[in-house]
Amino acid sequence: MTAAAATAGREEFRAAVREWCRTHVPSGWRQAQTGASDEEYVGFQRAWFAELRAAGFAVPHWPAAWGGGMSAAEQVVLYSELAAADAPRLILAFVSIHHAASTLLAAGTPEQCQRHLPAILDGEIWVQGFSEPEAGSDLASLRTSARREGDAYVVNGQKLWASGAQHADWCLLLARTDPAVPKRRGISYFLLDMRTPGVEVRPIRQATGESHFGEIFLTDVVIPAGQLIGPENGGWQVAQATLGAERGMTMLELAERLGQVGFRRLVEACSRPAASGGRPIDDGLVQDKLAEFETEITGLRSLCRSLIEDHEAGCSGPADASIVKLYYSELLQRLTDFGTQISGLPAHAELCKPASAGWESGAWALDFIGSWEWTIPGGTSEIQRTIIGERGLGLPREPAAG
Amino acid sequence: MSDQAEIREELRAVARDLLGRAGQAGRVAAAPGGAGVDWQVLAGADWLGLEVAAGLGGADATFAEVAIVAEELGRAAVRSSYLGAVVLSVGTLNLLEPGADRDLVLSQIAAGTLVPAAVLANGDAMTEARVSAPFRIEPSPAGDRLHGQAAFVPDAASADRLLLLAADQGGSLAIVDAESRRHGLELTEQPVLDETRSLGLVTARAVEVSPEAVWRFAGDARAAVGRLLDRAAIAVACDSLGLSEAMLAATVGYARVREQFGRPIGSFQAVKHACADMLVQVRVARQLVTEAAQRLADPGSPDDAVAAAASMAKSCAGDMAVDIAGKAMQLHGGIGYTWESGIHVYLKRAALNRALFGLPGAHRRRLAARYA
Repeated sequence: MTAAAATAGREEFRAAVREWCRTHVPSGWRQAQTGASDEEYVGFQRAWFAELRAAGFAVPHWPAAWGGGMSAAEQVVLYSELAAADAPRLILAFVSIHHAASTLLAAGTPEQCQRHLPAILDGEIWVQGFSEPEAGSDLASLRTSARREGDAYVVNGQKLWASGAQHADWCLLLARTDPAVPKRRGISYFLLDMRTPGVEVRPIRQATGESHFGEIFLTDVVIPAGQLIGPENGGWQVAQATLGAERGMTMLELAERLGQVGFRRLVEACSRPAASGGRPIDDGLVQDKLAEFETEITGLRSLCRSLIEDHEAGCSGPADASIVKLYYSELLQRLTDFGTQISGLPAHAELCKPASAGWESGAWALDFIGSWEWTIPGGTSEIQRTIIGERGLGLPREPAAG
Repeated sequence: MSDQAEIREELRAVARDLLGRAGQAGRVAAAPGGAGVDWQVLAGADWLGLEVAAGLGGADATFAEVAIVAEELGRAAVRSSYLGAVVLSVGTLNLLEPGADRDLVLSQIAAGTLVPAAVLANGDAMTEARVSAPFRIEPSPAGDRLHGQAAFVPDAASADRLLLLAADQGGSLAIVDAESRRHGLELTEQPVLDETRSLGLVTARAVEVSPEAVWRFAGDARAAVGRLLDRAAIAVACDSLGLSEAMLAATVGYARVREQFGRPIGSFQAVKHACADMLVQVRVARQLVTEAAQRLADPGSPDDAVAAAASMAKSCAGDMAVDIAGKAMQLHGGIGYTWESGIHVYLKRAALNRALFGLPGAHRRRLAARYA
């Protein structure tokens, strides 16, 4: 295919997605999702996932055999059009379609894939059980134990910061199967059915007042050996191989949201007359800040696209995903902070934000508080900088403590 | 990789090697740069005629290739007249109506036998809503005369020939072609802290202008001048990007080997994280600079898209380069502050680049005009 034909094909696809969005994105969903109950939120997320699935837009990044197969270039178009149309985001299914699927596809047996991938399309919800009270940034020091007993493992321990734990059917679980070897060599990766006896979930109330996360307590939980994924004691390697795999496209989606929704809303907020009369946007300092944000977002979007291209071409660098995550999360924090300042006290009177929205919902003060959900989880900004320094630039490691 | 991408990679590799060697001469290893490069070396590498038509001895390439050379000149912090004599002069000539005189100048530039300078504006100018010319053509009983002045013009003081942007009595814009030794034309070097750049004051006092020396733009002259100032801004952004990468590489290299408290300073988080931030900045700036260069190189790009991309690239890379060269000096510690280390060469060049063809704030003001 010539470059011109590819461009023409992409533009045709763009028009098709745009039309689909026009007829399918529910009008007024932001209002309906503001102050929504847990059931309303879950019901809405399930319905929107089904809509996207019917259109072939739910899992474009999966292999064609499992219901995906969209080219990277088309996915870029899809996510940028969904963002432009201010479509709801897939939050409930996020771990299922990204982390669970990439783990199954990379390390799962054919039976495990057959058991779960179609189920995910039918709405099976997954949660990640990685962090623990004593294992945050130093994830490899996790203590949850899995002891082999016959055809099963018996698991005991506690997981923390499991996003969406209260709605999950299944859990991606890391547990220690060999306490005698160096910490990264004794971890195994399991698929845990959340209905198993001994599994207890308690919500964690986070800084925004919401409870997106849960604690998972595991007491003598029996996991059949067939639900081990990857080799026994090879769980850390499986997790490492699949952690960054989904970064490119999800970061692209978030970058498009930041550009199309976040920046637009910020300009709108700056264009509204303040209580004192004048419009913030008439202030040169505000204009300077806005132009800086636009420039940074343009750079981010471009960075995400080249990350995807490099990944496809097999030439991405070992720190590329960390660079994008670090830049996005800190940009989000600065942008929502600025939105909070611009909106003044009224921003603090918005006590809840729409569920199913992106990280820049326009309830700026809550968005700002919520932005730490990006600079802390998935490797804190400090951990990302260490990865960039060591793997990206080849700087020497810190001498190990103890 | 496409053929075009391969050609660009090849050009980059050759340029890095050639200019790296030129930049090394007479400097300590930690931070090369500041040395001059022989004009014939650039001519021999075919970089002077990249944008000149093949029929005139050029390479028929685009600004995307010129941008690579500009970036590598920045990386090596080389002293050369490439910005004024090639990037801006060839860019200007290519926007004029074709003619034998113009074509002769283009072929001489490509061959390296003529080193002109384009005098389009003061060196800190950028495209504004109202394009104005620094010179004016006025009639006199003895024929047309040129008057005016432009300050801090890149590579003007040593140029053989000047291409001066002038407005005639009717206000329309044209390029006046003048030998630099023409009576009434005064070229004065304006020394600046950055010794790798040559900026000059150009003054015209009743310089005789023959009708053949007035060259018209092929299309809308105001749009053309806007493009040229955007071209200047993007070329300087390329330079800032190249020098930032050089400073990051020098700092990382130093932090790996310099030991304090019994271990390499690069193993300390304070140093490592600062380097990580530098890499993130460089990566983002590279996206914006590449995007801008490609937009300018594409004749189909709308003016406002080129302008926005130019302002993003120039504001981002301009700020970044000063920040990174500053961090490089800081992280090198005492050695970084010595004259011998050469880091000051980069810091001064970065700071000068930031001011050339529009400060970051001025470019952001232009961006903000789109939504304010």
